[in-house]
Amino acid sequence: MRRLAAIVILLGTCATAGFGRKFHDDDPLIREPEPRPVTVTPRKISDYYDFFWHTLATPGEKQRVAKPIPAQGVNTLGDPLDGAWWERRHYWRRLSLAELQSAPEKDAAPAMDGDWIVVSAKTEGITPGFVILDRNKKRYFVKFDPTSNPEMATGADKIGSTIFHVLGYHVPANHIVSFHPEMLKLGAGVTVEDRFGRKRKMTPEDLAAILSRVRRESNGRYRATASLAVPGKPIGPYRYFGTRADDPNDIVPHEHRRDLRGMHLAAAFVDHDDSRAINTFDALVEGPSGAFVKHYQLDFGSSLGSGTQKPNSPRSGGEYLFGWKEAARQFFTFGLAVPRWAHASFPQVDSVGRFESTVFDPDTWVPEYPNPAFLNRLPDDEFWIAKQIVNLRDEEIRAIVETARYSDPKAADWVAKCLIERRDKIGRAAFRKVLPIDRFELRDGRLEWVDLAAVYGLGTALEIRVRWSEFDNERQSAAPLQGEQSAQLPEMRADGYWMATLDSPARPDQTVQVYVRKRGERTQIIGVERTWKGCAGSAS
Amino acid sequence: MPLSSSEQAFGGSSNMKAFCARIAALMLTAAVGASPAQTRTEEIEAARDLKALRARPETTSSLENLLLQVKQRKLIERLSYGYNGLRTQFGAMATGSGFAAGPQFFREDLAAGRIRVNASAMISTRSWRKYEAGILAPQLAAGRISLGVEAGKRDYRSLEFYGTGPDSQRTGRTAYRHEDTFVEGIAAFQPVRNFRLGASVGGLWVSVGPTNRKDLASTEDVFNDSSAPGLAEQTDYLRHSVFSQFDYRDDPAGPKSGGNYVFEYTWYNDRSAGAFSFRRSDLDVQQYIPFFNKTRRLALRARMSMTEPAGGDRVPFYLQPRLGGSDDLRGFRPYRFTDRNAIVYNAEYRWEIFSGLDGALFFDAGKVMPRRGQLSFADLEVSPGFGLRFNARNRTFMRVDVGFSHEGVGVWLKFNDSFLPRLFGAGTRQPLY
Repeated sequence: MRRLAAIVILLGTCATAGFGRKFHDDDPLIREPEPRPVTVTPRKISDYYDFFWHTLATPGEKQRVAKPIPAQGVNTLGDPLDGAWWERRHYWRRLSLAELQSAPEKDAAPAMDGDWIVVSAKTEGITPGFVILDRNKKRYFVKFDPTSNPEMATGADKIGSTIFHVLGYHVPANHIVSFHPEMLKLGAGVTVEDRFGRKRKMTPEDLAAILSRVRRESNGRYRATASLAVPGKPIGPYRYFGTRADDPNDIVPHEHRRDLRGMHLAAAFVDHDDSRAINTFDALVEGPSGAFVKHYQLDFGSSLGSGTQKPNSPRSGGEYLFGWKEAARQFFTFGLAVPRWAHASFPQVDSVGRFESTVFDPDTWVPEYPNPAFLNRLPDDEFWIAKQIVNLRDEEIRAIVETARYSDPKAADWVAKCLIERRDKIGRAAFRKVLPIDRFELRDGRLEWVDLAAVYGLGTALEIRVRWSEFDNERQSAAPLQGEQSAQLPEMRADGYWMATLDSPARPDQTVQVYVRKRGERTQIIGVERTWKGCAGSAS
Repeated sequence: MPLSSSEQAFGGSSNMKAFCARIAALMLTAAVGASPAQTRTEEIEAARDLKALRARPETTSSLENLLLQVKQRKLIERLSYGYNGLRTQFGAMATGSGFAAGPQFFREDLAAGRIRVNASAMISTRSWRKYEAGILAPQLAAGRISLGVEAGKRDYRSLEFYGTGPDSQRTGRTAYRHEDTFVEGIAAFQPVRNFRLGASVGGLWVSVGPTNRKDLASTEDVFNDSSAPGLAEQTDYLRHSVFSQFDYRDDPAGPKSGGNYVFEYTWYNDRSAGAFSFRRSDLDVQQYIPFFNKTRRLALRARMSMTEPAGGDRVPFYLQPRLGGSDDLRGFRPYRFTDRNAIVYNAEYRWEIFSGLDGALFFDAGKVMPRRGQLSFADLEVSPGFGLRFNARNRTFMRVDVGFSHEGVGVWLKFNDSFLPRLFGAGTRQPLY
């Protein structure tokens, strides 16, 4: 009854609200409207609870098989909007090697020519660390490697965060530093917590104790990651489902955000199996209209085969920490059903950990436990992130790896080689599921595009057919134009909308619809949609 | 046709909440008399308006809050470490004691971690008691030298005894009370990586007597001093030992590869009766053979204990090697076999079921023998079985083993690794280490 009443109201309202229109005047919107000022309350989440909740129940709206739920929070071109979650970067404007190496923030490294004032510290735990203020009063989190695997966690943190930045995500600026212990000065009134959480005044002995548990380089210095504190007020992590209840700008369920669904392949690329809520970070930052919530990805020390405190488990990326089906399979077969990931070969390089590309399969890669956004991903979500990943050239990957400053060339070579091979596997996997054509533009009266699989050497160029239709934007209906079956734009006498349907004889189940709008003298592409077998809009 | 872009962008799901939200947004638009959204920006702003109307403080469930508090306040650490080192200890008594608990004082942070102090008093549901105290300097000379002193008193009121020899009868199950007091100093030196040498010296005072258990015959009612040497008269020992260890396991607390080879030779000098001096040698060899990235492995162990009486002396039954129970022959009752010499072989195939649980198929074989010349693979008692290993941070914190033998089925719930690391020093570990 409630549903019937709602439908009646909806129909009545639609009659006056113009609900059926597909494209709006300002489409394609590139940037989020200016976020409105918010008042939010910081809150923390329990990682134990998060693990059990996601492992046993998997919260959020689950993807449907019959009528898949498309990604939301995207513009009519299929891209997320620039803003609090994500921004267009390398794929849209190629960064130079120098820019890649200084990403995400130029000149954000701590000053090395003055004292570092220690303002807080983590004395307990296997990998200790502290927070410092450099000469410019910038605040950094200083993190170290485990003694068993020098350069492993810091290198992973640097490379992982840079790649995520290049792919558009917001990350803190991480820098590999090598500092002399004499630079460290204990700040006034600094306290530390003992293993039971009891605070007491920090002493120089505490500082010495921290450094005693860290490997010292032969030159007397200590290698670490200095992570520039994210600006703004921390308000706790975000979850990979639902929305933040107190943030009016957060209107798209996270499990349906394209940037978060697509992040599955970004995480797979760098083996960031720790991609869970506890490693996200929301900050209340100042915007032109007031404070708003900006969303960050944090802590890549557990990527590239690093487990932060030791090399990652070989099951990392291959399997969840717990899964009913696989556990039952292992239990009842006495382990004779050896999973594919267990066959992997890893380098004998301490600074790399367990990172490889041979057994890696982007389609089956998983984080430590189920991630609602990753589980909801569709082929077009994968295509969106894969096109950015494959856009990273070999030399660009090597340039990013260089920033980790591995002392062993074998480590840098291995990481770069694996990233390159993983990139290609991701491209091949994603480009199989949808037509791999993109970068649409109108030039000289023609619709042009790039076959990404062919350009990046991941497949042969597909034969693409084009059929044009006149598109009624209000009714959302298309009327085929007879004889208009080429890339040449059809005759556009008046303002209006046209739709090009691109398909390939080699892949009859996959299409791309490109929408063109003519307004006055201006003709522009305003929409791109992809279909595949089984998707909501597929012909099959 | 695909879903419209507006649906894709802002709520194309059939989720009822989203559906109602969109309706509400449109009604809101109509109610305030505004014109319908002409732009995507207006559409987004309308959605924000709606969200702002429904905004409420972000909350977490009470269960999540509880777990958060447990972690933030480090309640588990506080409980496990106690107040200033004072805490409750559970278990840590010999098999057969029943559930044991008691206060313990443990500090490993003294002198900047250079001194470790331990003192405890335990009592079990079978009224067994154990009091121990020790001080250890584990990291002297840059970790190459460790020194320690330990002392203790134990009162185990119903240790089982079936008679000596491989042919002892299951029906001959008896029990006796074992009381002892010991003090011991231990020194170890690590000349090279993975290799340690050491020595210990101390005293041992033993007394055995009737058990308090009503359901078992008391040992002295079934056996005599001839069949159970030392039953009639106990003695005091001055004992000293030398030991060596080569340990290249990848993680001693949860090994998956490598090996651990321990040899200890101990002299027991009878200081009062003059009839029970002997020497004892213990060899414990463990090898871990991993495959498939250590997700499966063979864990092999051979453990041998030999005693040799001095002159015409005898080895008291309560200090003779034993087999049977949760750590060696798992299909047999605890302490099922006793004799002057013992050897046991354990082979376990362990495989990862999920990250916190391993499965194990095992095969135990071993025997006791009165003479060294009988050391062979003949006449071994065997016990196949299976088990589960519950792990946290690569440590087995609990295991369930089910062993089978011609004498029945043994089901064990233990809170340690099945191949207990061989500990040095005679005092606290022999005969019941």
